[in-house]
Amino acid sequence: MSGSTDRIPWPTFEGPDGWRTLVDVGLAAAPTALAVALGVVPLAVLFVESVSPLVTPANYAALGESVYLPVLVRSLGVGVVVTAACLAVAYPVTYWLAHACPARYRLPILISFTLPLWLNYVVLNYTWVWILATDGIVNTVLTAGGFVDRPLDLLRTTSGVGIGPLALPGPSLGLGFVHIYLPYVLLTMYVSMERLDYRQVEAARDLGAGSLRVFLDVVVPETYAGAVAGTLIVYARIAGAFATPQILASPSEQMIAQIITTQFYDVLDYPFAAALSVVFLLVVLVGFGVGALSTDVRAELKRW
Amino acid sequence: MVTRVGDTSDRTGVADRLRGRATAAVRGGFFRITVVVTALFLYLPVVVVGYLSLSPAPQPSIPLDGATLRWYAAVLSDARFVRGLVTSCVIGVVAAVAGTGLGLLAARTIVRARLPGWLRASVAVVIAIPLFVPTVVVALGIGITAGRVGLGFGFLPVVAGHLYWVLPFSTFLIASRYATIDGRMTEVARDLGADGVTTFRTVTLPQLWPALVASVLFAFALSFNEFLLTFFLAGSGVTTMPLEIYGKVRIGATSFLNAASVLVLGFSGVVAAVAASLEPPT
Repeated sequence: MSGSTDRIPWPTFEGPDGWRTLVDVGLAAAPTALAVALGVVPLAVLFVESVSPLVTPANYAALGESVYLPVLVRSLGVGVVVTAACLAVAYPVTYWLAHACPARYRLPILISFTLPLWLNYVVLNYTWVWILATDGIVNTVLTAGGFVDRPLDLLRTTSGVGIGPLALPGPSLGLGFVHIYLPYVLLTMYVSMERLDYRQVEAARDLGAGSLRVFLDVVVPETYAGAVAGTLIVYARIAGAFATPQILASPSEQMIAQIITTQFYDVLDYPFAAALSVVFLLVVLVGFGVGALSTDVRAELKRW
Repeated sequence: MVTRVGDTSDRTGVADRLRGRATAAVRGGFFRITVVVTALFLYLPVVVVGYLSLSPAPQPSIPLDGATLRWYAAVLSDARFVRGLVTSCVIGVVAAVAGTGLGLLAARTIVRARLPGWLRASVAVVIAIPLFVPTVVVALGIGITAGRVGLGFGFLPVVAGHLYWVLPFSTFLIASRYATIDGRMTEVARDLGADGVTTFRTVTLPQLWPALVASVLFAFALSFNEFLLTFFLAGSGVTTMPLEIYGKVRIGATSFLNAASVLVLGFSGVVAAVAASLEPPT
């Protein structure tokens, strides 16, 4: 970063280097225009649409009365559960990768753990159909081995654990989500874990701390920023997922993106779809704001 | 630990050390098992579908009664599927190349432009919108806007959407490489009389090259796999690979779909693996 330009309040085109500033503005214009046209403008249109026709809160009022609020709550709840599951897996895996894995295997393993980021999530979700269907691989093994009398219902079923809309996702939805979003969390956690000074862990062990103490008193304080950054990156994507619940959720596990898409595609009720989106966006942004209050977390997110 | 001289304490010392080694082994075992289970979890579903794609029957039954590549042949001679594949590749190439070009301009703006800090930060935030706004909200916003301003749906809106979708990834990938280039080198080149274009071509570009190639490949993989934005913008005329597969997944799981899945995963996997070897993930 060139420190000298940080203090200029406004671009100046005067002086001997004025034309260079002009070139900089010109070069910045194209990507900025694209980002404004397809980012800022649509969000503004969405807000205008949500209070149309004229200026009315009717679309938001409909939201309060309707059956859609539980769907929003369920989506946010699923986001929490899946994110927690990803973190629970990512902590030991990235700890081992950063501090116990032989150096020459580290990069290949990291690449293989993050490669699924670039694979098609529709297809990855679909693979779970063959794992969990009644004639899928799990049930074939279980019935052939005599562990169960008849195939288990694992695909598109509810977990049956939870209160009202706040329920654990069913097996196929939960596994499908973790499968897609774990690589993101592995990557953010690895970046943090790599910077954890392993001598601190050794010192704590030499002083007699058990694994749990080492984890809670050394590892977590040193790496929580990576965990929060990972959470911020995946949480909204999980809560706002469309394809994964379409392919793997039980009909009673509908999520917010499915409702929004239905309103857009089939019902053609743009204002109501927009109101749902605005509420969902606000909830997500509040979470983001709270998370990004910490300077450690902001520094971590800037690396992305 | 404090060691006292004497027979008994010596024995405790050995026992302690052995116990320490045993817990370390258990701990190491726990971590190694977690890593192996995670790797299996990530890749086993893909392996299963790969295995089932060899089924002779249209509806595989486990275990398979034979192995054949006929479904791969069927996929590659299916008109709709091939059209989706070609469309996805065309959109992917356009989005990857143009997106990397725009990403380069944006990265230069964020890292190097002679503009006030707040302005450069604002450009970064605006470009990062699709990273922190849920995709369904972005997709609905663009979808409604396309409908309202009469841009309509179809090939060009999808291309624009994909270009927008890959922009933040290209921008921040290139920006992190751009930030490592010593700004004094470009100033020296300028002081020696090189103009802006020559300086960029001879000083900056050679150092950015790996990041640019990685950006093209990653952006292609992103665009090739993008689903939701396309779903909102495609209308009825355009079909891409992910849309085509999604449509078939909703109907039912078949050997044809398994072969198509393996082809899609293999294709994007190779592109991403090459990109990752050029620009490692950390």
